[in-house]
Amino acid sequence: MGDEITLNPDINFIKELKEAGGETLKKCYQCATCSVVCPISPEDNPFPRKQMVMAQFGMKDEILADPAVWYCHNCNDCSKYCPRGARPGDVLSAVRQWFIKEFSVPKFMGSIATNPKMIGIALAIPIILFIVILGITGHFHIPDGKIVYSKFFPISYIEGIFFPLVIIAGVLYIISLRKYWKVLNKVNGTNYVKSFGDAFVESITELVKHEKFAKCETNADRKNGHLLVLYGFIGLFITTLWITFYYYVLKKHSPISLLDPMKWFANLSALFLLVGIVIIILNKLKDKGVNTKTSYFDWLFIIIILSLAITGVFTELIRLAGIKELAYPMYFLHLVLVFYIIVYFPYSKLAHMGYRILAITHYKMTGKDKD
Amino acid sequence: MEKKVGVYICSGCGIGEALNIEQLQNVVKEYNPIVCKIHHSFCSQEGIQIIKDDIHNEKLNAIVIAACSQRVNQDIFIFDPLKYVTERVNLREQVIWTQPKSHEITQLMAEDYIRMGIIKAQKASPPEPKIRELDKTILIVGGGIAGLSAAIEAQKVGYKVIIIEKEGKLGGWMKNMYKRLPSKPPFRELEKADIDIKIKEVENNPNIKVYLNASINSIEGEPGMFDVTVSSNGNTEKFRVGAIVFSIGWKPYDAKNLENLGYGKFKNVITNIEMEEMASKGKILRPSDKAPAKRVVFLQCAGQRNEEHLPYCSSVCCLVSLKQAKYVRETDSSSSAFIIYKDMRTPGLYENFYQSVQDDEGIFLIKGEVLELKETEDSLMEVRFDNKLLGKKSIIKADLVVLATGMVTNMVPEGREPNNLTSEFIGDIVEKQTEDGLVKELEPVPIVLNLKYRQGPEMPHLKYGFPDSHFICFPYETRRTGIYAAGAVRHPMDSVQATMDGAGAALKAIQCIKLTSEGKAVHPRSGDMTFPEFYLANCTQCRRCTVECPFGVLDEEENGTPKEHPYRCRRCGTCMGACPQRIISFKDYSVDIISSMIKEIQVPEDEDFPLIVSFICENDAYPALDMAGINKIQLPPNFRFIPLRCLGGMNLVWVADALSKGIDGVLLIGCKYGEDYQCHFIKGSEMAAERLSKVQETLDRLMLEAERVEMVQLAINEYYKIPEILNHFLEKIKEIGPNPYKGF
Repeated sequence: MGDEITLNPDINFIKELKEAGGETLKKCYQCATCSVVCPISPEDNPFPRKQMVMAQFGMKDEILADPAVWYCHNCNDCSKYCPRGARPGDVLSAVRQWFIKEFSVPKFMGSIATNPKMIGIALAIPIILFIVILGITGHFHIPDGKIVYSKFFPISYIEGIFFPLVIIAGVLYIISLRKYWKVLNKVNGTNYVKSFGDAFVESITELVKHEKFAKCETNADRKNGHLLVLYGFIGLFITTLWITFYYYVLKKHSPISLLDPMKWFANLSALFLLVGIVIIILNKLKDKGVNTKTSYFDWLFIIIILSLAITGVFTELIRLAGIKELAYPMYFLHLVLVFYIIVYFPYSKLAHMGYRILAITHYKMTGKDKD
Repeated sequence: MEKKVGVYICSGCGIGEALNIEQLQNVVKEYNPIVCKIHHSFCSQEGIQIIKDDIHNEKLNAIVIAACSQRVNQDIFIFDPLKYVTERVNLREQVIWTQPKSHEITQLMAEDYIRMGIIKAQKASPPEPKIRELDKTILIVGGGIAGLSAAIEAQKVGYKVIIIEKEGKLGGWMKNMYKRLPSKPPFRELEKADIDIKIKEVENNPNIKVYLNASINSIEGEPGMFDVTVSSNGNTEKFRVGAIVFSIGWKPYDAKNLENLGYGKFKNVITNIEMEEMASKGKILRPSDKAPAKRVVFLQCAGQRNEEHLPYCSSVCCLVSLKQAKYVRETDSSSSAFIIYKDMRTPGLYENFYQSVQDDEGIFLIKGEVLELKETEDSLMEVRFDNKLLGKKSIIKADLVVLATGMVTNMVPEGREPNNLTSEFIGDIVEKQTEDGLVKELEPVPIVLNLKYRQGPEMPHLKYGFPDSHFICFPYETRRTGIYAAGAVRHPMDSVQATMDGAGAALKAIQCIKLTSEGKAVHPRSGDMTFPEFYLANCTQCRRCTVECPFGVLDEEENGTPKEHPYRCRRCGTCMGACPQRIISFKDYSVDIISSMIKEIQVPEDEDFPLIVSFICENDAYPALDMAGINKIQLPPNFRFIPLRCLGGMNLVWVADALSKGIDGVLLIGCKYGEDYQCHFIKGSEMAAERLSKVQETLDRLMLEAERVEMVQLAINEYYKIPEILNHFLEKIKEIGPNPYKGF
């Protein structure tokens, strides 16, 4: 029987998962309450009971290739109802965290982004880089006159740094995603019932509407926060394109008037991001880790996003208030965080976006997502 | 002895409203009692004083109290049983609470019960207990953890103890153990094996005498006077003891039968016993090349829960494997242990231990079924199994495979299979030449106790060699009064349970010595001071009593007449029911007393009103009937219930008595028998059923239908079934039609 499997548990993998927030994983005794209560688990391909066995048995390769890991939206109904306190939701979270590291290209970047001890280094890189660039070019001081950020950090420098970064990070991320796609197909077969295009569009539509999140019960409040953060990021991405268009095509330079529709759009996006991330934080504080335990990996990400939003908003507000001494350092800080988000995108929690879309797309293509 | 009967009719609890008390009094007067009084509450201080005054002034020696059930107010209606016969007539629970108020048929029923009560009080007499000087030493057979615990507990309360151990040292299996299961909260961590503490405590105690390398040549006698002959280190000694704790322990199931799991075929397949030995020596190695075993697979239910091997669960093997998996992990943090189980069974607080082991990242618990074991070229064991958790066939390559073999009671002698034992007594079926030709007969074999009992040299077993007892109500109990089983001899158990068992059995042994020395029965009739009496002049040596006694009370004289050992007796009266000559009786319970009660029942001449007499078990059916009353369940008025100590005391002559008098049917209500029996006296209800199957003869003689007599089984909690049972039988009797003897 081709279905036969040799058990060869990777004890280190189990230890790593335990350290990454899944310390309860061995408690599972396979009653399958989790698979029953999961609001989004497909009827014919239920999870996370089986994924719990894989995790318990250290079946690294098997769980790596299991799209259920990403189908899970961390509602944590499973953790709430688990009679054994095995917290499948947290275990899958840990698996995903480990997964992102495992698929990182290059791998050491994954370690930097997921290792708590590395956060200092991770942030030091852009700080030093910026100081060096600004220092060499003689910009590292607070400029006189009206606050115009390009006086401090010229647009060309920003573009010179960030465009290549975006491209490199993007390419590396795509390589990771391709790797994952290959694994998915290799292990789960290619008996497609739907084309990639259709499935992909469906997945994206679902994502935009947050349909799966809406099914969560225990973690229902999280949907709004997550949706706002997503929309905020999309809005800010559009803003960036928009402002680039202004700069090069319309030759309209910052600061843009507050009456400009682009500015409305930008401020609204920033507000979405800020409100969204605050909702997420409040939810987490309210839950106190009862249903969902938040790992270092998650908190780090949340704090970075929060800081990003706050520094962004303050950069604008302080500029309008005309406090130079604060405005430029705030802008500097904001840029450091933007750098962080971009460079570590494929290795941070943000990377989940692509993996999840691919996993769900694959589910749809193979027809395994039927409820 | 002349009977001076006082009858007391209580009118309280609604009896006065439901019945015509005056009319009842008139019935009583037919029997010329010394006094007959009515009071609204005899259980009150004033009421009880009336009775006490009469006893004193009128010199009463028999008291009939027609009030509530005999199962209530026992502490109030108590008069010195050695002087007075007390009979309770149950007017409340079984008459007025189950019948319509102020109705003629209710009145007739109450009258019948009063008649029966008075006649019983007239015929019964106070018991004459047999009291004599008895030995109070406790003998403990087997010096494992159960036996040692029993010894320590018994001497603590001042009893002398003798331990007989067949090995050269005390401690049993625990002596070979590397670590023991958690014995105290939070029940998560393994503990050091600490049997040496107990051994030392026993060895240093002047009140405990130990015989090592010992065996029992014979045990004769009865509780309080067991004469024991022991051989130890070549010497033979004889002594007397009062009671015995039977803690001979267990042996592992013979792994040689497990060739399908590779035992004996592959060097690297061992048993959990061998694993324990290896662990106590310090290293877990592969037997083939003495290399460290880093990957170990444990196979649960290695023979257990399998009809071909051990049909039962041994209850500790899962725990033992969890423990040994910890041993594997202890030596090397990169090593791993797999436990393939059918069901992980860790009873009680061992759940905590199970959870703590499960948490170990190197221990893998898998529900599965082994398909195949192979040896690979690199001399690894390849275990192929159906992995129920993943729904896939899986393979584990391991250094070592450990078979979790189960526990067999040491009641099973070497060379015999626990799933293939002769029933009741372990022995051989032999063919014997008798007057009736070649007869197949069971010949029980001596194993440990060598009892000089007529029924056999060892304890009757229930199944798979475990000593028979009323398992739920009376653990430690066996079918040999004065001998109490403790530890894994009576069912598979762990050391914590065996420790408690030892204490429990020791206390039972003490209780036995104490009650016996006061001439009282041990439970279930504890405190009963009557003894069976044999009118041997009429004995025909039929041997039914000696064969049927569930407790082996009766041996035989050479000519076959029963030889009594009264202290072995539990007073169930099974012998009384067995005796065709009716020569066995108790002072307050005899064939004659019951026959007389039947005679007092007034059979209505009305042919449309069938009358049925029902013999019911006092232990279960009687309280169930009371419960029906308490719940005010209306019952047909056609039944007259006569409680028996046990249905085993049912003598067929009563069927003849009842039917020849015109009573239309006889219904026996007893406990469940056969597998999972509930009979307090183990064989009683089964014996009754057995006898009933032969009632046809009696009925033929009377030219009556066999269907007029029936037996049903009822549990104590099944009171709600009673109306259906009674109505069903009543309908049947109505269908058969009236008894032609009516009116004769």
